[in-house]
Amino acid sequence: MAEKPVSNFSSGEKPTWDLYSKCVHCGLCLDQCPTYRALGTEMDSPRGRIYQMVLVDQGRLALADSFVTHIDRCLGCLNCQTACPSGVPYGSLLERARSQIEENYPRSWLQRKVRSHFYGTVLPSFGKLARHAKLVRFYQRSGLQGLARGSGLLKLLGVAELDALSPRIESDFSFADLGRVYPAEGAQRGRVALLIGCISSVAFAELNRATIRVLTRNGIEVHVPQSQSCCGALHLHAGYIEQSRTLARHNIDAMLKPEFDAIVTNAAGCGSTMKEYAALLEHDPQYAKRAQEFVVKVRDISEYLAQVGLVEPAHKLKARVTYQDPCHLAHAQGIRSAPRQLLKFIGAEVVESPRADSCCGSAGVYNVTQNEISMKILDEKMGYIASVEPEIVATANVGCMLQYAAGIKRKGMNARVVHVVELLDEAY
Amino acid sequence: MSTATIPTRFAADFRAICGAEHVSEDPAQLQAWNILGVAPALAVTPASADEIAGILRFANEHGLSVVPAGGFTQQQVGNPPPQIDVVLFTARLTAVEHYDVGDLTVGIGAGCTVAQLSAMVAKDGLFFAGDPAQPERSTIGGLLATGLYGPLRHGYGGLRDYCIGVRFVTGDGRKAKGGGRVVKNVAGYDMMKLLIGSQGTLGIITSASFKLFPAPRQTRTFVAVFPSAAEALQFRSQVLRSPLDPICLELVSPQAHELLAPGSPAAAGWSICLRAAGSETVLARYRTELGTAVVREMEGANEQGFWRTLSDFSPLAAERHPRSLLISMTLPVRDVQSVLNEVSTVAESNHFLFAAIGRVGIAHLLVSLWPAPDAEDSLVSFVDTVSGLRNRVPRDASLAVLHCPSETRHHISAWGPMPTDLESMRAVKMALDPKDILNRGRFLF
Amino acid sequence: MPVNLPGLVEHLREIAGRDAVLDRPEDLMLYEYDAGIRKSTPGAVVFPQNTEQVSQIMRLATALNVAVVARGAGTGLSGGSIPQAGGLVIAFSRMNRILEVDVENQRATVRPGVVNLQLSEHVSHLGLYFAPDPSSQKACTIGGNVAENSGGPHTLMHGVTVNHVTGVEVVMPSGEIVHFGGKAAESYGYDLTGFMVGSEGTVGIVTAITVKLLRKPEKIATLLGVFESVDDAALTVSAITAAGITPAALEMLDGWTLRTVEAFCHAGYPLDAGAVLLIELEGLREAVEEQAIAVREVCLSQKAREVRRAKDDDERALLWKGRKMAFAALGRVTPSYYTQDGVVPRSQIPAVMRHIGNVAKKYDLTIGNIFHAGDGNLHPLILFDMRNAEQFERVLSASSEILEFCIQCGGSITGEHGVGLEKRDLMSRLFTEEDLDVMISLRNAFNGRDILNPQKIFPTPRMCREITGPSQNPVLMQEGL
Ligand SMILES: Cc1cc2nc3c(=O)[nH]c(=O)nc-3n(C[C@H](O)[C@H](O)[C@H](O)COP(=O)(O)OP(=O)(O)OC[C@H]3O[C@@H](n4cnc5c(N)ncnc54)[C@H](O)[C@@H]3O)c2cc1C
Ligand code: SF4
Ligand code: SF4
Repeated sequence: MAEKPVSNFSSGEKPTWDLYSKCVHCGLCLDQCPTYRALGTEMDSPRGRIYQMVLVDQGRLALADSFVTHIDRCLGCLNCQTACPSGVPYGSLLERARSQIEENYPRSWLQRKVRSHFYGTVLPSFGKLARHAKLVRFYQRSGLQGLARGSGLLKLLGVAELDALSPRIESDFSFADLGRVYPAEGAQRGRVALLIGCISSVAFAELNRATIRVLTRNGIEVHVPQSQSCCGALHLHAGYIEQSRTLARHNIDAMLKPEFDAIVTNAAGCGSTMKEYAALLEHDPQYAKRAQEFVVKVRDISEYLAQVGLVEPAHKLKARVTYQDPCHLAHAQGIRSAPRQLLKFIGAEVVESPRADSCCGSAGVYNVTQNEISMKILDEKMGYIASVEPEIVATANVGCMLQYAAGIKRKGMNARVVHVVELLDEAY
Repeated sequence: MSTATIPTRFAADFRAICGAEHVSEDPAQLQAWNILGVAPALAVTPASADEIAGILRFANEHGLSVVPAGGFTQQQVGNPPPQIDVVLFTARLTAVEHYDVGDLTVGIGAGCTVAQLSAMVAKDGLFFAGDPAQPERSTIGGLLATGLYGPLRHGYGGLRDYCIGVRFVTGDGRKAKGGGRVVKNVAGYDMMKLLIGSQGTLGIITSASFKLFPAPRQTRTFVAVFPSAAEALQFRSQVLRSPLDPICLELVSPQAHELLAPGSPAAAGWSICLRAAGSETVLARYRTELGTAVVREMEGANEQGFWRTLSDFSPLAAERHPRSLLISMTLPVRDVQSVLNEVSTVAESNHFLFAAIGRVGIAHLLVSLWPAPDAEDSLVSFVDTVSGLRNRVPRDASLAVLHCPSETRHHISAWGPMPTDLESMRAVKMALDPKDILNRGRFLF
Repeated sequence: MPVNLPGLVEHLREIAGRDAVLDRPEDLMLYEYDAGIRKSTPGAVVFPQNTEQVSQIMRLATALNVAVVARGAGTGLSGGSIPQAGGLVIAFSRMNRILEVDVENQRATVRPGVVNLQLSEHVSHLGLYFAPDPSSQKACTIGGNVAENSGGPHTLMHGVTVNHVTGVEVVMPSGEIVHFGGKAAESYGYDLTGFMVGSEGTVGIVTAITVKLLRKPEKIATLLGVFESVDDAALTVSAITAAGITPAALEMLDGWTLRTVEAFCHAGYPLDAGAVLLIELEGLREAVEEQAIAVREVCLSQKAREVRRAKDDDERALLWKGRKMAFAALGRVTPSYYTQDGVVPRSQIPAVMRHIGNVAKKYDLTIGNIFHAGDGNLHPLILFDMRNAEQFERVLSASSEILEFCIQCGGSITGEHGVGLEKRDLMSRLFTEEDLDVMISLRNAFNGRDILNPQKIFPTPRMCREITGPSQNPVLMQEGL
């Protein structure tokens, strides 16, 4: 008999037998995993990643470079979780593995510095983000952008300058909108709190405005609560579980008010994370119950609009639109038909491309940290999109929009990339 | 006419294996069993796989050549054998191994005829889908070894689709089996596939199991006639693209029509004969879908007779035109049209006439060619016709000459190039019949 | 066969590219499993991108006498792609192009790494599809399907993989590239295409496959027959066949399984039923409507409690989702399951189902049944927890008893998953020494040095009693327990 194995994970949150033993290594998830399709290696497949966690837990594999490489390469897109018939909670396994890595794996000095600055200091604070954004805007406007290229520093900041990938920093941030209330137009049908997001609030202020316009024109009163913070998604996915808990508590305090029918976001990643607050704060005696109440109210904008129903649009959209599911909407929240319904309602000709719900390779900062794989994934995806010859590529997440914009450029296609909300805004 | 004499020395040994009354040395009888002019030295009719194994082991020891024989309907196909020491009849292997009406499966001895098997299962409303020429003589073993089929191939698939098990004795005398009696089975190598169409060169089949089908309660045949092959084939393509699901889909050339129904008013064109099974409602749907192209419908005995005759195209053609070529071709579906054009060109340039039929849904053509009445009937013209065709068939096609005048035999190879790698086929032959006992010289090596 | 030849990996890199070879232990461990229960680690893994590379790899392996195992997606259930003898794994995940779709001939030519369902999706807009539909079709490769001669629910009507393959390109151990068959439905000469299919990677490495594409049927009707007992459902299966109806698919789920599956996918299976039959009819609209009525009558006459018919595509998809996901959905209630793949004549289904019930009781195990009833192809799924060595022993005994019964009924030990490592020791129950000897001589004709997937299919005498006690149990050893 072999000796009782000694786990290479430290105590605390780690992938456990209860979670990973659900994986019967059937392999049904393989072809749904973008990194497996791009690389073809078991190590970069969901089954393989889970198995590596098993190996580490059983002491057969070190929590070292190889493990970290393959876990780092995971998009966290959860395409595998949708595909898995055994109900493997891949998302939790991944978060736990990443938390183990953060805890036990020494990254290089620079990586560490930058990561902790970005996740620890910049993201949680809108003010600092604004300054960063201004800095980036300054970079973009001054010729300094070229200088920064290749330094790696900006890449890791996620708001980097990888040309097409970098969000265009719009000159007016929604931070100015914080604390405001936008009255419903016509008969009021509801009242919601809007999360304006961190990256998106910087990069896509206009999108937030459009969201507000669409809501108000549909009879919804919109509040933008003052003290909201980043939802914590990026932290959670990078393994900073504690920090994401802090942010969650903060947002619960800021937005869980009886007067709001719903807490709405236009960022799929934020929505899915906020829906996880209950699980995240499950052992927090003070917040566990409120987190549950919070989760019940969280809605993606498309989910919310489909639920309350749109009023008749002012203009019909006459265009060939293909809708690409953001992972955090389709795989994490199971929302697939709502955005399509909305598009059809405003008159779009919705054409389905193959693998519409497969990850585009954007995945937060992935397209920056794992650029090569990300571009491979993107190119495959663009092939499918091009095959249905759309005029408009619609999605529902800003990260995906940036990625598709880059993809369209790479492919030399002629199509516009929009958020579903932007099309709705045009119709109303 | 050559006759081997060595085996007569061994007659006693064969008698010891399968009993005196089952070994024949009667010259007149042996002469009647000649194959392309070569008569066997001895005929044996063993009763079991064990006896066959004994005979084959003996043959291996002494280097004798053995020709397995069923109903003798296809023995003239293939290259002329240099010598035949033993002809081995399967006639006594007729036992029913299993017959599971509820399971729609049957296992039967190789010597049973197709007609016997069909009659047996018909009593239970079942149906054996093999429809070779001359079913009263054609045996199950021979059917498998030659891989023959008729018009039903279109709707029911080929032997490789419904033969589910086989027992056989290898050329070197080992008793073996593949598959079993269940309809789905992947245990071990698929020996059925190797034996089907092996022309008796790998082993002697002793019994086989098959999937059966429920007999269709009602069928009807629709005939559409077109001025040209091209138009007929276009109609065929329409049928293939439609939701219709006929059990037969056959092309019949004008000459073939005349050949099948001598004396009947010559068909002015190329017909597509489509046979459908189903209720009145289903058949009515066929009528609507096929539209005005249909000029004739057949049912009942009339219909039965038509398809029976069509299945017998090969023997009928050879009988009607003894000095003719009968060529069988398997093709990719798309190439039927171009190959028919080539047939016509080659025939014309050699002053031949031709009759063609074919399962045009799966692209198997049977073409009979004979010298035009006013043309010179020369060896060269036969040889040229075959080589002309062989040069023109597309990649992925295979072409066999099933019949040709006897004097041309040594100038026309029965088997042309095949899409399957020859060396690999040789490796299989070496594995099962290393001393080349079975059907020596008649197939590929 | 340890790969301690230092030259091998370097040579492989020269052939296939630097990033196309794995040789570090931490990577190789990820190639020790498939979807079955056996494990064994290879010495190296290579990812060829074309036939020429495969040919060079084979030449090298033969020269160095290294065992070679092909791997598709590793969804096999019989240990087919497990490198039991160590050696080299050739993984086809990067050789996955659809080379040609020939609409007129209704053929496609694909590389072995193409995922089964991807081919159907690729040709769907042409109204065509690839008929073999193993429940793993979302992930398994056509190369794997060819090697195992895979089936699926719809192979009842349309036949298994071999009925849909008309040509293959094969690399022999010598490195020679050969072609068998082509686009024609059949051709003269030995049917080596047919022989190749189902040979489980022991005869040659398949590098391209020409398959038939079928036209989508005009009409599909999907019915769900609900029964009080497995017995009633089982009798209905034979009754449907006896009534002269060949459904496109005829699947059974027993009560325990359907409840487990229902909890996961809400297909609408009735929770209190003893068994359900999922019956699909396809073809010409008129014919399907008539058959649907006939099937309903047969079910009711066999004491079906109720027969439902899917109203639309969504309902149909839902009914199938339950079926297709069922295997793996059991992963929700058990850490592991052992899938059997026995076959019996259809008329024996009631008997064998009763036998399975008794075996479950005898060994105190949970056995779910979800299977291709129309073919008599059973899939008893025996639940276990690999941490429990004693239980695992019972699992093995139970499964051999079930297969033994299948053999007694005139059936087979595998209908579609292949023999592989799992069932090779049972082969001698099905075949005589001489039968196996003939098959081995055919293997040797192509793979004379036994370097292609060694130790598969055929019983190896010294391995016969491999699984005897917990200490020798390979699964448990690999799990470190
Ligand atoms: C949940 C689930 C459901 C399943 N359902 C079914 C089902 O309904 N029907 C069914 O038949 N099977 C089923 N299977 C079994 C399995 O999916 C099939 O056997 C499948 O064909 C294996 O394909 P693969 O690509 O995963 O091959 P692998 O498992 O990687 O390999 C299988 C075999 O093929 C060989 N091989 C692979 N590629 C090549 C090649 N290019 N050349 C030569 N040999 C090669 C391997 O060496 C191995 O022997 C199921 C499996 C799972 C996990
Ligand atoms: S994660 Fe799910 S789908 Fe993937 S191998 Fe494991 S059980 Fe199968
Ligand atoms: S989350 Fe996405 S990238 Fe990661 S394993 Fe799952 S499917 Fe692959």
